[in-house]
Amino acid sequence: MSDGRSGTPWRGPAGWLERLGLAAVTARLCLAHYADVVLGRQQLDLAALAGALRQSGLSILPAITLVTAAAGAILGRQAASIVDEFNLPALLLLSISYAVIMELIPLLVGIMVAGRAGVALAVQQATLVVTGQMDGLLVSGVNPITFTTAPVLLAALLMSFAFAVWGSVVTLGTAFVWLLTVSDLAPSDLADALRLAIDPGDLLEAIVKPLVFALAIVLIATVNGSTGGRDPEGIGQAATRTMVGAVTSILLIDLLFALLW
Amino acid sequence: MQLTDVFQHVGSHCALDGVSLRVQCGEVLLLVGPNGAGKTLLTRLMAGLDRPSAGAVRLFGQDLAELDEAAMTALRRRVGVVMQRGSLLDGLTVLENLLLPLRTLPMDREAMARAARLVMTQLLLDGMENHQPRSLSLGQRRRVELARALIHQPRLLLWDGLTDGLDPASVRDIFAILRLQQELRGLAVIATDNGVMQGLGESARIVVLDRGRILFEGDQDTLRQALPERIDLRYVIEGNPG
Repeated sequence: MSDGRSGTPWRGPAGWLERLGLAAVTARLCLAHYADVVLGRQQLDLAALAGALRQSGLSILPAITLVTAAAGAILGRQAASIVDEFNLPALLLLSISYAVIMELIPLLVGIMVAGRAGVALAVQQATLVVTGQMDGLLVSGVNPITFTTAPVLLAALLMSFAFAVWGSVVTLGTAFVWLLTVSDLAPSDLADALRLAIDPGDLLEAIVKPLVFALAIVLIATVNGSTGGRDPEGIGQAATRTMVGAVTSILLIDLLFALLW
Repeated sequence: MQLTDVFQHVGSHCALDGVSLRVQCGEVLLLVGPNGAGKTLLTRLMAGLDRPSAGAVRLFGQDLAELDEAAMTALRRRVGVVMQRGSLLDGLTVLENLLLPLRTLPMDREAMARAARLVMTQLLLDGMENHQPRSLSLGQRRRVELARALIHQPRLLLWDGLTDGLDPASVRDIFAILRLQQELRGLAVIATDNGVMQGLGESARIVVLDRGRILFEGDQDTLRQALPERIDLRYVIEGNPG
């Protein structure tokens, strides 16, 4: 995964094409690596996977729980006042359930994973390039993508799915508890709203969307981390480019889901 | 290893200017020249880490420009590389670093451990298995790099910065090990340095590189004979300015 050129930056339209090509190669190599692991031809680096799970999972669990609970409390508070004013509880609850499960939580999870796992991966790869450690992997016949990106991608996929479920439960739970406490709604109203809001197709989209976000985040991090060049400032640039690129791509992918799904 | 009319541009600067070289199985080639001569660039090209701006680099008969990533990775398993500025992975222990080239080879754990023990003993690294590279001295890190480059029994060793961090006696000891591997299984060695260390270059072919161009190619005796008339070569014989 060398840039193959001495000091030539990846800029301009050709640079973007090369970046897209590198992202495609990264995705292909990761899938091939997972297939080899399943077929018993390669071993999964369990230590690297555990480290990646810790980084993209456990380390942001408290933050995700706090943010989603706060979002649920805000939604509950606002919904209660609207219910008092317009008395359309079914429509309101349906809208809240749909918005939380389909939009709010996937986006929140995507941004948190981008900020933690994505930036960490970009910084790790840029550091490997700057310090010559990437050369060490290459000359040892170890593909840097299977060594660094593959465990992080697997961890990001697993944790994004888990966080999407957990975040939805926490946000809706908090919002519904708030509503039950301060308004005249019955628990059956909430259950009906949930059932009406989400059909199986929506549920599939709600599950697939965070996974696509995670894939995009990891690919963007890999491209930015490995193409930042050999100067130390490339590390900081890789981190900021990854954060901006990941958040932008998450929103654009979300738009595509809204238009095409 | 064969380089044919290789050019490498760094920005607008021509860092390698039409270099052609050929190294046969079992041969030792010392690539010497002052700082900035292009030795490290050349090593990176030969290791397949960079691509030349023009010209061809062939390794074991294969043009590196025509290889995809998987083929390149497979080819690198036949080459050992010691990078001048160091390339040990800081997040791994010495032993884990050593085992990197064996990760994708069909070897069981016992065979890997045996290979690691052997190469660590040869390079005086016993007892350092669980050390972090950062905790080692420069000389020890160079030895670990060399051990990693040799553990998978490569056909070709590329050693950039022969005497960097190592005292002359250590370099001669290590060269004795390399000579043995050269005789046993035809290991070819391409090493770079600023000058030719006494006691090393006698049977090696010497290539003098300066500002990206080859100034001289031949054995040490020919180099000594050329010295009186070639003032541009005087610095390459350590302790013998001609």
